[in-house]
Amino acid sequence: MAYLTQPDYIKYVCSCGQLKPITNLYFCRHCLKIRCGFCICHEVDSHYCANCLENMPSSEARLKKNRCSSCFDCPSCFHTLSTRATIAQPRQDPAAGDAKIENKQPKKMYYLSCFNCRWTSRDVGIPDQPVASGGWPERTNPFAARVNQLLDYYKAIAQQEKQEKLDRERKKFAIRGKYMNLTDKTGLTGAMARNIAGLASSESSSSAIANFVPSQASEEVEELPEDYHTQEVNLKQITSMRQRLRAAEWQPRSAARLQPAARALSVKRSQRCRACDHNLTKPEYNPGSVKFKIELLAYYHVPEVKIISYETVKPGETTALLLKLTNPTAHEMQVRLLQPQDVPEVEEREEPKSIEKSLEKSLNLEKDSSWSKVLQRRAALPTACAVRAPDAALTLAQRDDAAEYDDDPQHDTSDIIMWRKSNKLALRLQVATAAGAAPGGPARAALALQYSYRNTVPPAAAAPAPRDHTLYTTLVIHLGTVAE
Amino acid sequence: MALYEGIALIQEKQAVVLDLGTDYTKFGFTGEAAPRCIIPSEYWCTSERRFKRVYDYNNEEELYDNLVHMLHLLYFRHVLVNPKERKVVVVESLLSPTMFRETLAKVLFLHYEVSGVMWADSARLCALTLGAPVALVVSLGARDAEVVAVVHGCPVLQAIQSQPLGARAIHDELARLLDRDNGTELHLPDHVLEDIKVRACFVPGRARALQLAGGGAPAARAAPYTRAERSLSVSGAARELAAEPLFARDNEMASLPDAVLQCIALCPIDARRELAENVLVTGGTAALPGLRARLAQELRHLVTLPPYRDRLRVSKFKFHTAPAHDNAAAWVGGALCGAADGGARALARDAFARERRLADWPSLLHTTPRTHPHWDELAEAEPLG
Ligand SMILES: [Zn+2]
Ligand SMILES: [Zn+2]
Ligand SMILES: [Zn+2]
Ligand SMILES: [Zn+2]
Repeated sequence: MAYLTQPDYIKYVCSCGQLKPITNLYFCRHCLKIRCGFCICHEVDSHYCANCLENMPSSEARLKKNRCSSCFDCPSCFHTLSTRATIAQPRQDPAAGDAKIENKQPKKMYYLSCFNCRWTSRDVGIPDQPVASGGWPERTNPFAARVNQLLDYYKAIAQQEKQEKLDRERKKFAIRGKYMNLTDKTGLTGAMARNIAGLASSESSSSAIANFVPSQASEEVEELPEDYHTQEVNLKQITSMRQRLRAAEWQPRSAARLQPAARALSVKRSQRCRACDHNLTKPEYNPGSVKFKIELLAYYHVPEVKIISYETVKPGETTALLLKLTNPTAHEMQVRLLQPQDVPEVEEREEPKSIEKSLEKSLNLEKDSSWSKVLQRRAALPTACAVRAPDAALTLAQRDDAAEYDDDPQHDTSDIIMWRKSNKLALRLQVATAAGAAPGGPARAALALQYSYRNTVPPAAAAPAPRDHTLYTTLVIHLGTVAE
Repeated sequence: MALYEGIALIQEKQAVVLDLGTDYTKFGFTGEAAPRCIIPSEYWCTSERRFKRVYDYNNEEELYDNLVHMLHLLYFRHVLVNPKERKVVVVESLLSPTMFRETLAKVLFLHYEVSGVMWADSARLCALTLGAPVALVVSLGARDAEVVAVVHGCPVLQAIQSQPLGARAIHDELARLLDRDNGTELHLPDHVLEDIKVRACFVPGRARALQLAGGGAPAARAAPYTRAERSLSVSGAARELAAEPLFARDNEMASLPDAVLQCIALCPIDARRELAENVLVTGGTAALPGLRARLAQELRHLVTLPPYRDRLRVSKFKFHTAPAHDNAAAWVGGALCGAADGGARALARDAFARERRLADWPSLLHTTPRTHPHWDELAEAEPLG
């Protein structure tokens, strides 16, 4: 919860140089690197409606313009609309006589209503529908017909240009006499060749061009009525910018022209490491589920650091800092605290890739290397405060869910270990602040961790069993502001 | 090789059209009549815990981050497609800064791995929505008013006019009028000013504007404006005078109608009359009620005065209506342009990876014809490869 409601006191440095809290980071088990939302590749996995939790296949979503067919949003306040039922009394029809009225059953009719702002589909004169699930009138874009004309016209022009270019080239080749092409050899005419190729014949494209009427400019410009400035204005009757833009195709100015808006779909995303193309997260298909099939979060792999408490940082003084380290993995972990500058430079090591991968890479040339150069940044680490890191290897036991109930802390404490409890360790550390630290400015200290990590990726047939790695991570600790 | 190309053709995905405006971003698919979304050009910045505008940046790195976040929002929240291996049509102003274009290219090609990007200037795209050979595009954006003459598909570069007479100028004037008429400094945020402008303001005709300036006209009706914090009254003056800075001629002929006439005056003499008879007023600010009519009246008046009377000899002004809402005209042009040639003119990713350079009109490398002797001189001076 603390991660959701409180500021991020501890930020980790991602391999791309961004500073993020551990909950926003991923850990690629194949590159053994921390990744974040900025440096990974996002992909649309599946479309669904967040209101009715109905999945929609991507092809259907494309046809329906990413809109749910059964849910509607309020065009006024954007809250979800509810379908309300009323009993419509059969209308008294004086001409029909009394006998007929008795046969008529009261009919259920439906309309849409917003529980938030009380807008209803009746407000804008949309008739009630006899079925609950829709049949709501659909509006078409007033410009669609003209845009389609223009589209046909420009397509025809592009086609014609392409054809002319082809013809020119063919002439050029004919003069050279060196090359033979299909049409010459088999005696096909150009038009037939175009038909075979599935292209529009030049006759039809020229008709699209011939029938096209360019826009006609007019001297008349729509003017406001003479007495516009004396007319009564009710700003509630005029839509706001947000209301207009929600319906980008119509953009009604008058509130009376608002229409229920079919709800926009959402997507589930899967995320991929860019360096090795392995999935970092993959959600379950079911829209109702918040679980993942693959979920390589840093929170499950990287030692978590939390502040227990700290003394206010003062310039030129040494203050106490209590930290808690947690080992989230199922293996024992050796942790050592380092200064950030002591972390060895790791050059971006080429992961051994399958043959297809390296082939693909050689096909699209510099793709990968050029990408990382643009993104790679060096995080600006604070230097005013420094955590005095004792040079000692600390052992963190593996995560053991049963040990949670074992509530008496072990007492193998030392001058830096305050207490130890299953996979958690509390440390008593010192923060040295430079005399020149600006009072009132943010007090931030950088700290690096060296930790052992056992890779449990199911080994490939030939590869050796789980391997142990020594990994590094750098984090920035926020210690409030520097005291006066 | 031929077979491979055939497969690529079948797999070609519908391209997207991106118009990253100062205030609003328009995004959608080519071949469609309207953008899928028009949203403010801003995103929620988690580290700063505030909405951050894409155009608020101090350096290239910050702009890069802004663009990455904005595009993520557009692709995964609104249009819901994978950016990878899909072409993009970018609608841009001819005056877009080089750093912005190049950073956007990096974000699209390297971060989102799009397969190609077609850069198109908004003036030419607006002209495309008309299908007319000659058009004078007056585009009123958030910051600037740009006037570009498009003659047979080519913008007349030496005649481009740009003045800071966009929505900002109106908002500033509106804030001043509201402060004056409410007798206090209101410090209204930008989105409230925009809301008041959009719902209450209009542009009076030239005759009425003259009466108002002379003080001989009753004010327009005031409108009560309710807000959660504090309701206020939008005075008649604030309603009808907010857009006056666009027509103010006091400083150096820098008004909107002046910019239009100066653009015509700088165009080739044989195109001037046609330009005046093919004016398209577009951009979000053009939707203000009465603005077009007022601009037409001012143009017809101004052209009878020196220096335009002698230089232009234009008598008639005619206006087009684009088949799009004012804020999306350039976008619709992009959607037409991208669908018509199937993205054949796009800059492909591998070409960008090799050259790392975008075609740009101020660069001689891209505007000098291949047959020009300068190329030989360049090759002699610095042997390539
Ligand atoms: Zn990886
Ligand atoms: Zn990262
Ligand atoms: Zn739904
Ligand atoms: Zn509502």
